Order: sequence, then structure tokens, then C-alpha cells
Amino acid sequence: MSQRLIVIGGGGAGTAAATIAKRLDPSLTVTVFTEFPDIAYSPCGIPFVHGREIPKFEDLFLSTVDRYREDGLDMRMETAVTDIDLDRGTITARNTHEGFDKLVIATGFHYEKPDVPGANLDGLHYVKDIRAAMEFDKALDAMKRVVVCGATPLGVEMAGNLGHRGLEVDFVDEGPWALSEVLDPDVAEPVHESLTKRGVTLRFGTKVEAFLGGDDGRVRAVATSAGELPCDAVVVCSNKLPNATLAKAAGIEIGTTGGIAVDERMRTNKPNVWAAGDVIEVPHGLTMLPVRGLTGAHAYAQGRTAAFDIVGRDAVYDPVWIPWGMVAGDYTIGGFSLGETLAQAIGVPYVLATGVGVSRARYYPGAQRTHVKLLAEPDTLKLIGGQVHGGEGVKERCDFLAFAAKRGATLEDIAWMENIYSPPIGALFEPMAIAAQNGLTALAAEREQVTT
Amino acid sequence: MSDLAELKARLRARAEHHLRLDAVRRLRRGAPSTFEPYRERGDGFWRLVFVPLYRRIPWPVKQRVMQTARMTARGWTPPRREPGEPWRPPRPRS
Repeated sequence: MSQRLIVIGGGGAGTAAATIAKRLDPSLTVTVFTEFPDIAYSPCGIPFVHGREIPKFEDLFLSTVDRYREDGLDMRMETAVTDIDLDRGTITARNTHEGFDKLVIATGFHYEKPDVPGANLDGLHYVKDIRAAMEFDKALDAMKRVVVCGATPLGVEMAGNLGHRGLEVDFVDEGPWALSEVLDPDVAEPVHESLTKRGVTLRFGTKVEAFLGGDDGRVRAVATSAGELPCDAVVVCSNKLPNATLAKAAGIEIGTTGGIAVDERMRTNKPNVWAAGDVIEVPHGLTMLPVRGLTGAHAYAQGRTAAFDIVGRDAVYDPVWIPWGMVAGDYTIGGFSLGETLAQAIGVPYVLATGVGVSRARYYPGAQRTHVKLLAEPDTLKLIGGQVHGGEGVKERCDFLAFAAKRGATLEDIAWMENIYSPPIGALFEPMAIAAQNGLTALAAEREQVTT
Repeated sequence: MSDLAELKARLRARAEHHLRLDAVRRLRRGAPSTFEPYRERGDGFWRLVFVPLYRRIPWPVKQRVMQTARMTARGWTPPRREPGEPWRPPRPRS
């Protein structure tokens, strides 16, 4: 008799686990429960539709529910799972119990709700569900002024895109610069410049104290520690918190970040139960401390790992070195593992190697400056983090550096790396190698001074 | 989540928040487009006791404490990073 796999959640991790498990073992009966009416779209593209960089929301859909059904999946759309009973091996949805042999929890995240008066007013928008985004986009046409709360990656994308659309945007955060939880201040400088050029007013070091409503129950202003900001709507871009309530109620172990604790095969502490995506925590490759709230690419890979284990194939997910990148305003930034801000906060010792190169041959039209900052262990000079900013090629460099760090590469390795030289796509001198060479030269001079 | 697990999660979040605040205050010197981060009331313990104490402890000791206190992930293979020799500047050829 075939076994039944139930997957709770239709995001990147859930759909990856369901489709790959079914593909690897066609005898498996796979049922996916999602509380939303849509599946297989890219929520990460939503800010760019608001900013009219992408023409329409329909472009964000990658597949259809029917397509999944054709692939043999039992899709339960708009069906919230309200309970998991591990002793009986059942879940409850729409007051009906459904049995499972294996279970994947991929319930994703929700945004932290601001703990201030007025947080329930109409006009506070959270960017997640595509249908809500479509409605918000229509309403934006009649708006003039929007407040974006939270200088998270989503906040930076929303502020930049709403500015690009021609709205007046106040961008509010308690921190000292955009993305201050991960970004270093030298990299924030060009980001601020680019956002300001798009018409965004930066109000950092500023606390939101209340959302103020009109008689119609709709937000009309945001009260902050720096005064009142009138607005037609507020976009709340607060921290992402794992949707772990169901798992917690079922007795599944929750870790120190509030995410489900899993092992390297995405197994929870309960037999035949896996978890993946934004609801879990995974260890950072350098510190082995659990982290959460990673990217869609991480979620997909975790769902894939769970699927392999479910069908009895050997697959292990490595601790993460978190390559990341984004376009902030018109400027591309990225990094991996740690920047100086995080390294100093955690107390990890490091030496720095910095350099500036160009993205194509200097004479080739469109060549852009590429800034590289690398952090390395002071004794072995193994890479432990870095940030890259400039124009093209930031993403590829961050992906490469994260992989190099994971394999123990040193500044010496990067300084002597091979690189492609082809005028339209790569300069003679690779910016990462320039940074590493500069770092080694500075260290050699410094250590020479110490020994003489 | 048990009360103890919730307490651990809350403590970790508060500790990280204040360590990050301390780091950004030091790093923002010389970065003209940055702002003074918002300072909450009643953060004296974290700012005056916890952060200075944490900063004095060497990283290898912190790592050992984190492992002993089971703050690091379990059930995972640490990444294989080949052991490296301490780096030395190149010597000129004799």
C-alpha cells in the first residue's frame, strides 16, 4: 500500500518537498495544504511590480495549481491546517482528520506586528500575499504619500520602488542606516544616496510610536520620536517570525530563534516529521549558531533535502554561509556570512582586505566600479565574510565567496585566483583578487613592522 | 515552546539587539550619512553591564561557552574547512 505524505505549506519549501518527493517516488500519495488560493508565484517580485519595473503581477506566477495536479499532487487550496496529532498520525483541516505516514511542516513566516497603538488600523499593508498586493497596487494610484516602516531588505525594496513610482516616501527605522542588521556603514552610504535620488526621505534613528487614524478607521499619519508623518498608507516591513504555532502545539522542538529545530536532513525531533523553509532554523557555517529568515533559494534547497530523506535517499544540507544580494534603489549590494557590523557584534576577530576594481574592461562601455571588502581569520586568513557593492556581478561574486569560505579558502587563495578576462564581461584584474592582494600587502607590512 | 525555551529565545534576541547597537555606534563614526540609533529607556543593564562584559571575553572562550550551553545547533556536521597553517608574509629569496 502506498504511503501518504502530507505537506503543510505551499511556498518554496513546501512545493519543493512535495514535487521532488513525488518525482523520486511516484508511488507516494502526496497532499499539499495551503491556506492561500495561489501557488508557485514569486512574492519577492512584488515590490518591483509596485515600482513598475515588472509590468504586471501575472508575470510573477511560475506555474498553476492544475499543473501540480497533472503531476499527481493532491492540492488542497485555501485549506488551513488547524491541528497536528502526532500520536494518531493525523492533521485537522476544515474539521476533518486526515491521516499521514510522513509529514512536512513548511508553514513559513509572518511579520512581527508593531507593538504600538493603532496597529489594527486600515491602511497598514504587509507585503506577502499576491492578491492583497494587487489590491494595494490599485489603491496606490490614488495615493501621494506613503510611510515605509522597517529598513529590512523588503523595506529598502519597497521604499525604493514606491519612490520610483513617484510617491513621496518616508522611510522610518530605529537603526542608524538602511539594513543596519547586516550591512556595513560604508556600503550603506551609496544606498542612502540612491534612495534619496528616488525621492525617499530617510528617517533613521527614529522610533514609530503610534499609527494615527481618522474617523473612517484608516491610518492618516504615523507618530514617531521625530514628529508626525502624514500619510495615505503605511507599508510595514518588520522582522519575519516563523509560523511555528502548529508545530509547537504538537510538541515539536523549537530552537532559540523561535524556529523549528531540525537536523541536517531536515528531520525534526519527532519521527516521520520534517520541516523546511522560513519556519525552521539552521546553523551558520562559521559559528554553528542557529539562524533563520533566509532566502527563497534556501527554502527550496531545504525542501529538496527533506524530499530526498523522505524517499530514503541520502542528502545532507550544509550549515549556511548566506550569500545575499539585492538592488537598493539603483545600486547593487551584497555579501556573505558576516560583515564588519555582525563580526563586531558577535565578537569574531577578523582582518580586513578591501579593494576596488571594474566589472568589465575599463574601456568597454558600461564598465562599473566594483567594491570588495573581505573579512578573514587573523591567523589562518581563511575567509569568514565580506560585502560587495557596485554594479553588475555582485551576485555572482557573493555566491562564489560564500562557497569559497565554506571550503576554507584563504585571502592567499583569492589573491592568486584565476579569472576570466573578456572585455564585455570581465576586466583583466578581478576585484576580489585586488582586495585580497591589498589585504595581504597591508598585513605583510604590518607584521614586518612587528617583527623588526 | 517551553517556558525555558521561550526565555532562552527572548534572552538571545535582547542580547543580539544590544550587541548590534554597540557595534553600529562604534562603526558609524566616520560614516556621514548615518544617524544616531534610537536609544530605548531602561537598557542600562544591557548597555553598561552585558555588552562590556561580553566584549572582554575572547572569541574562543565564547565559542566554548556557546557549545557547552547547547546554544549551537545539534544534529549537524560542522563544515569541513581544511585546517590551515597560520599565515606568514612571504620571505624574500636569499
